[in-house]
Amino acid sequence: MDLVTGILHTSLLAGGVLALAALGEVLAERVGVVNLGVEGLMALGAITGIAAVVTTKSPTAGFLLALGVGFLVGMVFAAITVLLRANQVLCGLALTLMGTGFAATVGKAYSGIPAPATFVALPLPYLSSIPLLGPVLFTQNVLVYLIYIVLPLLIHFLMFRTRHGLNLRAVGENPAAADAAGIAVQKIRFWYVTMGAALAAGAGGYLTLAFVPSWSEGVVAGRGWIAVALVIFAGYRPLNAVLAALLFGVITSLGFVGQARNWPIAAPILSMLPYLGTIAFIVVPVVAWHRMRQAMAAPAALGIPYYRDLR
Amino acid sequence: MALRVQRFPSASPSAAIAARAVAIVLALVTAGLLLAAAGAQPIRLGQQVLRSTFSGFGIEDVGLLVTPLILTGLSVAVALRIGAWNIGAEGQFYAGAFAATGIALFVPGPGVVMLPAMFVAGALGGLIWIMVPTLARAYADVSELITTLLLNFVATLLVYYVSTGPWLDPGGHALATTARLKHDVPEFFGLVHWGFPIAVLLAVTLAVAFSFTHWGYEVRIAGSNAQAAKYAGMPFRRHLIVVMLLSGAIAGIAGMLEVAGTVHRLQGGISNNFGYLGIMVAVLARGSCIGVLAGAALMAVILNSGIVLQTQGVNTSTVLAITGLILFFTAIGDELAHFKITRSQPA
Repeated sequence: MDLVTGILHTSLLAGGVLALAALGEVLAERVGVVNLGVEGLMALGAITGIAAVVTTKSPTAGFLLALGVGFLVGMVFAAITVLLRANQVLCGLALTLMGTGFAATVGKAYSGIPAPATFVALPLPYLSSIPLLGPVLFTQNVLVYLIYIVLPLLIHFLMFRTRHGLNLRAVGENPAAADAAGIAVQKIRFWYVTMGAALAAGAGGYLTLAFVPSWSEGVVAGRGWIAVALVIFAGYRPLNAVLAALLFGVITSLGFVGQARNWPIAAPILSMLPYLGTIAFIVVPVVAWHRMRQAMAAPAALGIPYYRDLR
Repeated sequence: MALRVQRFPSASPSAAIAARAVAIVLALVTAGLLLAAAGAQPIRLGQQVLRSTFSGFGIEDVGLLVTPLILTGLSVAVALRIGAWNIGAEGQFYAGAFAATGIALFVPGPGVVMLPAMFVAGALGGLIWIMVPTLARAYADVSELITTLLLNFVATLLVYYVSTGPWLDPGGHALATTARLKHDVPEFFGLVHWGFPIAVLLAVTLAVAFSFTHWGYEVRIAGSNAQAAKYAGMPFRRHLIVVMLLSGAIAGIAGMLEVAGTVHRLQGGISNNFGYLGIMVAVLARGSCIGVLAGAALMAVILNSGIVLQTQGVNTSTVLAITGLILFFTAIGDELAHFKITRSQPA
């Protein structure tokens, strides 16, 4: 693979982590719940993935278990924030602290052990032999196809082309009106927040099973927060979220290439790129195009618990 | 007459405090059970913690830990007053420590001049670090929560870079740190430096400013209802900018005091999560500046317990998880405090 192909291939692989977590956050935020625990969920998913693969030698089992752990923790988070209606910002921060701390504690035993089996590249017949694009797009692992093609299209179709999708968006925009129209507001919120959490933990599993692939403390390195920021940048749209994640994959892989090729820039400075890039990308568009603000606005009821008796 | 559970829009102060106390106790019990499940002996660990916290050294250690916690807690609490979440105290802490170290390493001068200069540099470092998030929030309504947080990673990397690269101790006495700073914040009692009284004084000053000045009144109004404040002709944007910059500066001061008073060398990991724990402190204090003193004291004891626990084989990340557990239970308790059992009116 030449340089450009290499950069693009790594970009796709690196962006997958963010894309999966961002898709999860889109699900939660579209129904009106901010989940700031993505960072912690990713840490839990990452350690689950590596622990499972060390035991079972099967990356698929690792990924599914990571999803399962995210689903269970997501149910607890949803019960507290949706059903009990506790402060979403606080619970999210608490989940990040707990997840990061717990994963690091358990992770001591797995630190530095490379995953004995990972998701390996699965070249698609015919497509992978297309010049330039073939090796970039079609010699990836199975999760990459799932994250970039199947999942976003599925979520997009569900959200914008079905009655159920209209309902779930209504829950995020105006829960009182949705409730009056007979939509089960709390039920929809509960399950979408839970599914979103599962995807966030799945992103952690992807990190240790397909991308890094080993556990070390701080392996998540703020990717959960970047994913939350990407959702804002993407205007809460699943397809945009995946494209935004890919853009950040490019920035990340430029940093890798810089380190590998001994560019005269220190490694820590290159590592700042994704964070600075994220800030630039959420600040610049709103400043530059005022008209976009309306179209890219957050769901109107985002972060506000719903009390039927206060409507 | 039937009894029923009813939710009230505001919690009574006694219910709120009781809920907090129960939440913290339950969180610690849960943590103890988890530790027991992991094979530790929580009761023995608890005794160990109590014994070493209330020994002479324990009090001094808590005094050293409480200073940065008061300041980062104040930083978050001040921003909360106007409804802004400064999750970036960690980064501003690093920026303040970085700026103060830069002055100390490269500007010659006597301590009497240099310490105040470092103090100002620390405050400015923190202020500059929150500048972009502040302006983005004030003029483009970009969530400060995300931007302040992302800058934490940048600041962490910056400090790691200078302390292992350009500013690495030329004497080579220590790995991955700068040279020892020539100027120390003088000691106040025992090991505890003058940063402690400064932090307390700052908390009291801010509490007075919020409660008894025209500015404080307007900021509180703006924080509880921005629309009402704008309608009443209050300069909401100006207040927002001033308060957020102040918040950054306070976290920067925390960084300066930590590097010049406690650690004496700039190094990666110097913030010790103080910025994130400041969020805990501010939440425990419910955004009150005096409450921050109590919240910081509690957090300092927990942190110090963490250090004691480390000698017993429990690591720092466990302490972080326990902190998250306390925050989680507190958020639940805060919501439950709104509920009261009432008698429904006879029809």
